Amino acid sequence: MAYSDKVVDHYENPRNVGTLDKSSTEVGTGLVGAPECGDVMRLQIRVNPETNVIEDAKFKTFGCGSAIASSSLATEWVKGKTISEALAITNTDIVKELALPPVKIHCSVLAEDAIRAAIGDWKKKNNVAETEGAAVAAH
Amino acid sequence: MNYFEFFSLPRKLTIDVPALEKQYYALSRKLHPDRFAAKPVAEQEAALAQSSLLNDAYRTLKDPIARTQYLLTQEGVELEEQSKSATEAARASGTEKKQIVPPELLEEVFELNMQLAEMRAAKQMGEDEPELRRDLMTAKDAFDAKMLETQAELERLWADWDAAVEAEDPGLREATKDAMVVLLNKRSYLRNLVRDVNEALGV
Repeated sequence: MAYSDKVVDHYENPRNVGTLDKSSTEVGTGLVGAPECGDVMRLQIRVNPETNVIEDAKFKTFGCGSAIASSSLATEWVKGKTISEALAITNTDIVKELALPPVKIHCSVLAEDAIRAAIGDWKKKNNVAETEGAAVAAH
Repeated sequence: MNYFEFFSLPRKLTIDVPALEKQYYALSRKLHPDRFAAKPVAEQEAALAQSSLLNDAYRTLKDPIARTQYLLTQEGVELEEQSKSATEAARASGTEKKQIVPPELLEEVFELNMQLAEMRAAKQMGEDEPELRRDLMTAKDAFDAKMLETQAELERLWADWDAAVEAEDPGLREATKDAMVVLLNKRSYLRNLVRDVNEALGV
C-alpha cells in the first residue's frame, strides 16, 4: 500500500514535534492510544488565557506513518484556533486531507481523540465546564 | 459454520487442547487428498475445502489468544468500529473520550518508547549506554511479568464466560466480553513493548 504524498511529507518533515511544559496551567496534554496497533500519541496545546486561542501545539507519536502524519497535521490545524474551533475538527477532515485508506482511518480517530484529550485536560486545569464549546449541539 | 461448530464444541473458552488435537488428526486423515484421488472432482474439491477449514479452525482454537479474539468477533465485537463511535459520541457531547486502555499503562508505554528511541539513537552513534540498558532490562522484566499476569487474568475471564454460557446469564456474558476486550487491548501494548525492548537490547 502506498502512502499519499501528504502523508509522506508529514512523516518525513513532521511539524511541531516536541514537548510543552506539562505543569503550566496554560498547557493541556492529551495522551491516547490505539491498542489494535500499539500506537501511542501525545498532543499538547498552549492556550492564551485572555483569548482562548491555541497559540502553540506539540506532539510526539510512536506509531506508523499515518499516525505520525495525522498528529502532525492535527497540531498544524489547532494552532491559531480557539478551543471551540479546535473541537470542531473531526477525524473525517484528517482522512480527507491526508487521503488515508480505510485501514488507516483509526489513525485519524486517534488524532481527534488526542485533540479532545488535550483540550479536556486544559479545561480541567482551568475549571472550564467539560461540555463548553462543544462543536455541535446533538439536538 | 463457525470453528466451534466445526469441532462440535460449545462456545466456551476453556478447551481440552489435547482432545482437540486428537480430533484434528483424525479429521485430517479422513480428509487426506489420497483418499479422494479416485473420487469425482467435485468430491475432491469439497474435501479440500473442508480440510482448509479444518486447518484454520484448529490453528485458531488451539491458541489461547486467537481463540479469545475469534470468539469476540463471533460475538459481534468490532474494536475499530466501537472506537470510532465512542469518538463520535465524545464529539457530540463535547467531552473527552474515555480511553479503553488504563492511563497509567499509556504513560508507561509512552515513557518506555522514549527510552527505546534514545537507545536506538545511541546505538546509531555507535555508543552503548549502560545506564539506559539497565533501565530497559528492568522494564523488560516488569513487562514480562505483566504478560504472565494478563495470561492468568484471561484464564479467570474464560471461567466467567463459560459459567455465563452455562447459566445463560446475559448480564455476566456482556460484562465478561467487555473485560476480555480491555484485557486483550492491554496485552497488545505489552506484546509490542516486549518485542521492541528485545529488539533494542539485541536479545
